[in-house]
Amino acid sequence: MTEPAAVTSPGVILSAANDPPNSTSKSGFRAMWESWTSRVFTMREDRFFLFLAVLIGILSGLAVVCFRIAIEWTQIELLGSSLSPTFPRVVLAPTLAGIAVALLVIYAFPRARGSGVNQTKSAVYVSNGYIPFNTVVGKFITCALAIGSGQSLGPEDPSLQMGAGIASLLGRRLRLSQEKVRLIAPVGAAAGLAAAFNAPISAVLFVLEEVIGTWSAGVLGAIVLAAISSVVTMRAFLGPESMFRVPPFRVAKPADLLAYVALGIVGGLASLVFLKWLAYARPRIQSLPRWTQHFQPAVAGLLIGIIGIRLPQVMGAGYPIIDQAMHGQFTWKLLLVLAALKILATGISFLSGTPGGMFAPSLFIGAMLGGAVGAIEQHFFPALPGTVGTFALVGMGTFFAGFLRVPITSVFMVIEVSGNYTAILPVMISSLIAYGISRSYIKVPLFDLLARQDGLVLPSVEEQREQMILTVEDAMRVDAALVLERTDQIAAALKSLEGKEGLLAFLRVRPGEWNFVEHSELQRLAADTSRGHAVEEANSKGPLPFVFRDMSLEEALHWAGDWPALPVLSRADLSKLEGVVTLDDILKAFRKVPIA
Amino acid sequence: MSSPANTIVVGKKTPRIYSREAVLFGCILLLVLFVLFTAGVSRMYHKSIHVLADNWFDQGEASFRAGDIKSALTDYRNAMVYSPDNAKFQFHLAQALAAAGRGDEGRSYLLNLLSESPGSGDVNLALARIAAHKDLTSDALRYYHGAIYGEWDNDPIVRRWQVRRELAEYLLDRGLQRQAVPEIIALSDSTPTNDTEQLRTVGNLLLKAKLWTRALEVFRTILSANANDEDALLGAATSAFNLSRYNAALDYFDRLPEKDRNAPGVDEMRKTTRQINDMNPFLPDLSREAKARKAATALSVAASRLQQCASQPGRSPASPTQTQLQKALAESKEPAPDGSWQNIAKHPETVDEVMGHAFEMENAAAAACGEPEGADRALWLLGRSQGVSAQ
Repeated sequence: MTEPAAVTSPGVILSAANDPPNSTSKSGFRAMWESWTSRVFTMREDRFFLFLAVLIGILSGLAVVCFRIAIEWTQIELLGSSLSPTFPRVVLAPTLAGIAVALLVIYAFPRARGSGVNQTKSAVYVSNGYIPFNTVVGKFITCALAIGSGQSLGPEDPSLQMGAGIASLLGRRLRLSQEKVRLIAPVGAAAGLAAAFNAPISAVLFVLEEVIGTWSAGVLGAIVLAAISSVVTMRAFLGPESMFRVPPFRVAKPADLLAYVALGIVGGLASLVFLKWLAYARPRIQSLPRWTQHFQPAVAGLLIGIIGIRLPQVMGAGYPIIDQAMHGQFTWKLLLVLAALKILATGISFLSGTPGGMFAPSLFIGAMLGGAVGAIEQHFFPALPGTVGTFALVGMGTFFAGFLRVPITSVFMVIEVSGNYTAILPVMISSLIAYGISRSYIKVPLFDLLARQDGLVLPSVEEQREQMILTVEDAMRVDAALVLERTDQIAAALKSLEGKEGLLAFLRVRPGEWNFVEHSELQRLAADTSRGHAVEEANSKGPLPFVFRDMSLEEALHWAGDWPALPVLSRADLSKLEGVVTLDDILKAFRKVPIA
Repeated sequence: MSSPANTIVVGKKTPRIYSREAVLFGCILLLVLFVLFTAGVSRMYHKSIHVLADNWFDQGEASFRAGDIKSALTDYRNAMVYSPDNAKFQFHLAQALAAAGRGDEGRSYLLNLLSESPGSGDVNLALARIAAHKDLTSDALRYYHGAIYGEWDNDPIVRRWQVRRELAEYLLDRGLQRQAVPEIIALSDSTPTNDTEQLRTVGNLLLKAKLWTRALEVFRTILSANANDEDALLGAATSAFNLSRYNAALDYFDRLPEKDRNAPGVDEMRKTTRQINDMNPFLPDLSREAKARKAATALSVAASRLQQCASQPGRSPASPTQTQLQKALAESKEPAPDGSWQNIAKHPETVDEVMGHAFEMENAAAAACGEPEGADRALWLLGRSQGVSAQ
């Protein structure tokens, strides 16, 4: 075997495989292997990263396929194959499974608690991308048991964490640079989520919106590749069908969109209720004595089982029930009851510390609310286009946007899970309304809130998104510069500067080349009365770096300290001075912005 | 939270460092094994859920056949959990929902299926039935036509014929005669002449649509194959009666078995036909005296009906029917040629004039006092068949 590869600057990986091959002592296979590895390992690290992203995507896809099958089989074994489990099973399965899950989480997989999104995010920002593989195994077993036994949780967030865990393991074992190890966890997260949702675009957007928080070009390619390869892998085993099937519809008149405004309001309010409840109850549950953690998942299972006696629809991830709601199988009253009970059941499951995700339950709640609003509206306005199913579909995106505060992801998610593009306009409208309502009354998004409750201060993507970006325009002064030509006479220049406090003199050497001329220098030359001096004879500072009025102030800050002032030029004409900006101006502009 | 990867914990064994090639080789090996494992697991999984889906579906079919729609719905839904894209399951669930009176719920599944296979005859038909049940006529028409021109797996010609028949019946039931007529005519044209059952169905639809001539043709076709077909005889008799071919109608009525002949509606029609023939002086091969007797009787029957009608109280004197009645009454009282049969027999050329007068009186009375009965009805119908109609 060859020696370990060495990482050299700038990101080129060298390997012993580069050494001249000793062809006489190598078998054909070994020669082939070495030839291949030499090609792989002499790639630039960013290309190798992309190759790795595909590998991670395939591995995550396979893991998610096994995970979904495990959940399904667990459900069949524990609850039976019917949608309405029999009485003893419906109560006993989640209760007993709850005990097993609690013991596993406490004694074997302590990092498997929670949904998985924040754990992945904290791995990126706190642990340099480190996610122990034990967490992946723990998440797989405990979530399969919990969701399969009827706990009201979903498989998507755990899939995200499993993907991140696989990626983290690979990154560490392949000894990528620290930066790449940190970035590889989100790549795996996107792969896991994409396979779980059968929705690569949404997964990419979610990871960018919620986990990384920036649209970094360096990692975007890897994330997209991983998401695509995981979805392709998953589809190879579980089929290409989209999650839900809703007949296409058409919004005939702009006024029809008003129907979705109402849905946006209802979805926003419901997401508020859910968020408020979680925010209120979670610290209280966490403050209970530690020994109660042994029973919390079992108690949650028991309560959900009791609900399940009458309404088994609220148990588990609930995808078949969402499908039924989309086909108008429930009355609006039942839809409302199911939405309310799902909020209750999901809260109970989540607060008990049972591992499992919030994505599927939030889709469930949104679908039920959407269906109910649609049925009520269609009762009063029978000519309204679309079916109850359409409203259920739009409702999913609406609640998702309000609850998880990922408006862009929610729009694409609806399109991807239904394969239906006709809903895009209604989803955009109602999602934005729900997001606005949720944002107005609860400042901190769910995952940030949970992180803060756990004592972690992770960067808030929403806050970053809403931060004001200052530009040079915000700091520059327009009438603070005197433009001098090379042939201008010093005396005339001084006369122009006379009595104008703070006016700065710039010498236009040629378009794009500007120098700064100190007043003292002009005065020095003016003192020599033997002959008339031109400005070009002055000792000017330059050429100055120039800025444009639309450039970010942070960029301008890089140069401002080194020069007395920076010229702000027109992008269309580099000989035209539009203003001037100094370090002082920039600092003043920054100080004016309120701190979030 | 988690500890960084590169932290060395005192007392713990540091992990062994492998080369990248080794790790990558291990990964690829693991990937291959993982693919094989997942393929095996997924094959087992698919097999087991297909079995489950089929079991639930079979159970649903059994419940549906037994008339237990509620159980059938549950079973079909359970089947769909394990095979959500199965078109057959969705179709049966939709049909069960429709059978349970929840057509709206079934419609959603059917629309979904229709979006995938817009030409499906079965799906279009199921949607048409739901629309028809909800009285959404334009939707029903659209889907019925979709089914008629759609694809059918088995016996497409027969299935299309059946759908068109169903559409025609639906339209006739809704009183949409105008839309029904082209469908029935198309149905009639596409019916094979050797299929008595289909001909009989078409004949009855033609009768309902009052397409008497076509109906008579269809029933005659049946009778040419089986001269004693009771339904065909009755249909032919009814058609002939409505076409005022009373001789032919009477012939068909007389060929009916006694039990059919004496059936309430049939008996009345037969008696009327017989009376019409009894009062008809225009029948061929009648002697001058017989013609004169029939004409005289007709005149007397009509005059008596007119008198009786005019004496009924409570009619508005200004109404057009009343004016017509008064005019006819006045004409009947005018000094007229002797209406006795002897006189008519003497002047056989007056038979037409006498009968015309009788028909006008019957028409006037019918317009003022409603459709007549018995001999008056026979005379009135005879008048209509001779081209004398109410003004």
